Amino acid sequence: MNTIIQWCDSVLSNEIWFYLLTTVIKLVLIFAVILAFVVLSVWIERRVAGWIQDRPGPNRAGIPLFLLKRFGSKEKQPLKNVLHFFGIPENSWIANLCKWLRLEGEIPTFGLMQPCLDGGKLFLKQELTPSYVRKVYFTIAPMLVLGPPMVAAAVIPFASTVSTCYGEISMCVANLGIGPLWIFAISGLSVYGLSLAGWSSNSKYPFLGGLRASAQLISYEVAMGLSVIPLLMMFGTLNLQDIVQYQADNGWTLLPFWGEGLTLQRWALYAPIAISFIIFVTCVFAEANRTPFDMAECETDLVGGYHTEYSSMKFASFFMGEYAAMVVGSALVVTLFFGGWSIGFGADAALAAWCDWVAVLCQFLMFLIKLVAFIFFFVWVRWTLPRFRWDQVMKLGWLVFLEVAIANIFLAAAIMYFIK
Amino acid sequence: MESAISSILFYVFAAAAVLCAFGVVAFRNPVSSAMNMALCFGFTAAVYFGMGAQFLGIVQLIVYAGAILVLFLFIIMMLDVKAEEHVRKSFPMACIGVIIAGIFAGFVTKVAISLPGATDGPCPALVLCDTIGDLAPGAIEEKPAEETLAPYGAAMPKLNPAAAAMTLGADEATAAKATAFPDTKLMGQALFTKYNIPFVILSFALLAGTVGAVALGRKIRKD
Repeated sequence: MNTIIQWCDSVLSNEIWFYLLTTVIKLVLIFAVILAFVVLSVWIERRVAGWIQDRPGPNRAGIPLFLLKRFGSKEKQPLKNVLHFFGIPENSWIANLCKWLRLEGEIPTFGLMQPCLDGGKLFLKQELTPSYVRKVYFTIAPMLVLGPPMVAAAVIPFASTVSTCYGEISMCVANLGIGPLWIFAISGLSVYGLSLAGWSSNSKYPFLGGLRASAQLISYEVAMGLSVIPLLMMFGTLNLQDIVQYQADNGWTLLPFWGEGLTLQRWALYAPIAISFIIFVTCVFAEANRTPFDMAECETDLVGGYHTEYSSMKFASFFMGEYAAMVVGSALVVTLFFGGWSIGFGADAALAAWCDWVAVLCQFLMFLIKLVAFIFFFVWVRWTLPRFRWDQVMKLGWLVFLEVAIANIFLAAAIMYFIK
Repeated sequence: MESAISSILFYVFAAAAVLCAFGVVAFRNPVSSAMNMALCFGFTAAVYFGMGAQFLGIVQLIVYAGAILVLFLFIIMMLDVKAEEHVRKSFPMACIGVIIAGIFAGFVTKVAISLPGATDGPCPALVLCDTIGDLAPGAIEEKPAEETLAPYGAAMPKLNPAAAAMTLGADEATAAKATAFPDTKLMGQALFTKYNIPFVILSFALLAGTVGAVALGRKIRKD
């Protein structure tokens, strides 16, 4: 036992092994978070869609209580049985609550089982590969769509730093000095997946979808990169962990209510930052191929877009990639504009002074809450706005956003120069 | 110690980049060539990352792999790939290609040899063996970190983050805090102060090129 502890101690004392082990743990954690959020956002999407369109949404995948009949009950109403089993009177508040929750027929899971069952269905479906496709690229294209968002998530900080006896752990898989650029670069690579999927399908409409996808992604990448420059001028750093730390100390970018956020300069900078926010969020929509920018998979023009020829899990990978891109995009927006993991109002420093690990846990939860809120926003927009026309998308990207983003940089520079 | 890992990764990525570069010319299918080129850019970016030039690496990915090559692919996909695959390359063209490639290789070799530490550095194979030895958990205390051989030639000036931050005019506290080499800052300062005029001239040349491309590519309507 002692030797094992000693061995662990010696391994952890080695800088490299400590770094490797902590990184692997963080990697698994962030990977699990992204995948869980992909599933969760599918559920949110369908639930909110049902809500907005005034219909029930996914509600057929509960755990049916009539299965109890199998286990000896002859009653038609299983709820009565269950209540009787636990000795609860039928007119008590618990029984009424159960009735209000419509527990008579089944245990409600609020449709949460639906994404799991969908996944199972897609796994078990027959996979058809048309004979006329270019097999190699047809196979790697879905991987190239799903992979980049997962890799891009590596730089997103999900909590602050904790110090252990072996060294400090920064709660961010790769604490790079080029945070946002890394995300732009890696998520920009998913365009290969879309265009290769369109081309390798060897069929007209998927090809058009692939071309649209690559044109759109490249166009909006330009405006996206330019729109964050005013922010970076304010933060003075490209490291996302430092950016969030700055926001924790001096007020979130869009809610500067404490620290240095109360100065005149920060409030004067609010105008360019609000413009940046609008441009950036719209570009995230376009980069994630979400409605109103889902030109590449526009059924009315293109049958199904770049994934027309795909079936089964390959088809699902495209959608997982889209949702993963949405999750990473939301995480980036939250990190840049809404303080990332910071709890706000100086609570971070107070908590960290009390106990490192509690602070990190709270910050992680805060980050997840903000992420869910932003994913909800994404879904809300999808079910509210209709799809743009192709020429409108291109015009918006090149003739509006590019110019406004460049002018915005000069505005921010002027404010920083003249208002001290 | 960090250099130990990065020197192993350097050989892996450099070999992969060379292999992909070979694939660009070896494949008959233009799309395969383009994809190999994208991979080659990616591995080159990885080599930059290993050297601590993060900004350069990410710009390589954004600009070349993420934008320029996608536009290449865009054009190539519109070609008739089947016809391209059956084109026979002529011998005189191959000769001209070899001559041009040879001249470029000569340039690159000349520059590489004239770098500090290019000829008097340690043998690469020895460095690799040493670094693998360093990675064993038992071998922590045997060698202080300073003595680990630098991966890209021992005579190269060492990139010290704290010292670099000092030269940038930061105060001592932030200099001590600096963990990464501030390559973005250094590059920006060099570009916008020392090399400002060439930078502006190049920008104008690019702008003229863009305007020219639009003017040539635009269909002029007579109505």
